[in-house]
Amino acid sequence: MNTSDGAAVSSTSESSLDDTLPLAPAEMLALLTEQQRTVTAKMGGFVPVIMATWGGAWLLGFGALWLIDGLRPAFSLPIAVAVGVFIAVLVVAIGASIWLGVRSSRGVKSGGGSDFSGTVYGVTWTAGSLAIGAIGGALVQNGLSPELANLFYPSIFIFFVGVMYIMAGAIWRAVPSVVAGGWLLLLAAVAPFLGYPWHYLLFALAGGLGFLAFSILGRNLLNGSREFTPAAA
Amino acid sequence: MDELDPVIHAQARLRIMATLATLEADDRIAFPRLQELLEMTAGNLSTHLRKLEEPAYVDITKSHRGRVPITYLSLSKKGRRAFEDYMDTLRTVLGAQP
Repeated sequence: MNTSDGAAVSSTSESSLDDTLPLAPAEMLALLTEQQRTVTAKMGGFVPVIMATWGGAWLLGFGALWLIDGLRPAFSLPIAVAVGVFIAVLVVAIGASIWLGVRSSRGVKSGGGSDFSGTVYGVTWTAGSLAIGAIGGALVQNGLSPELANLFYPSIFIFFVGVMYIMAGAIWRAVPSVVAGGWLLLLAAVAPFLGYPWHYLLFALAGGLGFLAFSILGRNLLNGSREFTPAAA
Repeated sequence: MDELDPVIHAQARLRIMATLATLEADDRIAFPRLQELLEMTAGNLSTHLRKLEEPAYVDITKSHRGRVPITYLSLSKKGRRAFEDYMDTLRTVLGAQP
């Protein structure tokens, strides 16, 4: 233990009077359930925040790309501005995800099993993104028009993000992640049929607002669930 | 009917066991973070951890981050099993007297 015994003796005298005693079985079960619910909320509380961040990022980022040609002739956002906004919100959302993820797992040291899954999962994000970039590059080199590349890149990447969300849900047993991933797969498959620039509008609205909805849902699940099944069960 | 494990059957220790049980089997948690999750004083937590350490329910490992010593805690296999047994017994007891 990392505290001196002196501190232990002085501080337990008043607080241990009650908490060393058992309660009635029903109350003990309630205490157990309540404690695990609190821990889950504290450890997982960052997930809805990340979801909300991504919701805002999709809404703004894809919204900006849509505004390049979406409201012509009434309005057109310059390409440089739109792409700048898109990249900026992406960087902010990725940064926020990493920061929140690291913060929530502070003080927890992974053992062999979860460490391996986490590393493979993390590396797959990078490897998969690079592969998508390469595939797209090869298609462009072989004659894919810029118009079609405009449809291909976001759709294939969102397809990949959807698959990764589902994988995360499978690895860490998080149903909301599977649902969000499934939603993204659906969007990625439907959007190209709308054509440019309407696929961007679909990503902005259905994707962005979808993430915001998942965020609210997730927060309610974390705060409201009284029937959390202990991980040990 | 089985007896409820007296080591776990105390509010503070039940909360500690319940919290450690939410971790993945291989994961360990630093003392200050556990303290924060439980909202217990360091002294109180230490006392109860010592009682959980006696029957080897809790593994305590010490490591260093730079010069700062950090104590990491996790449920042992025996502890995890004892916690599961405790929950089973609790449910049996509750089922027997609705």
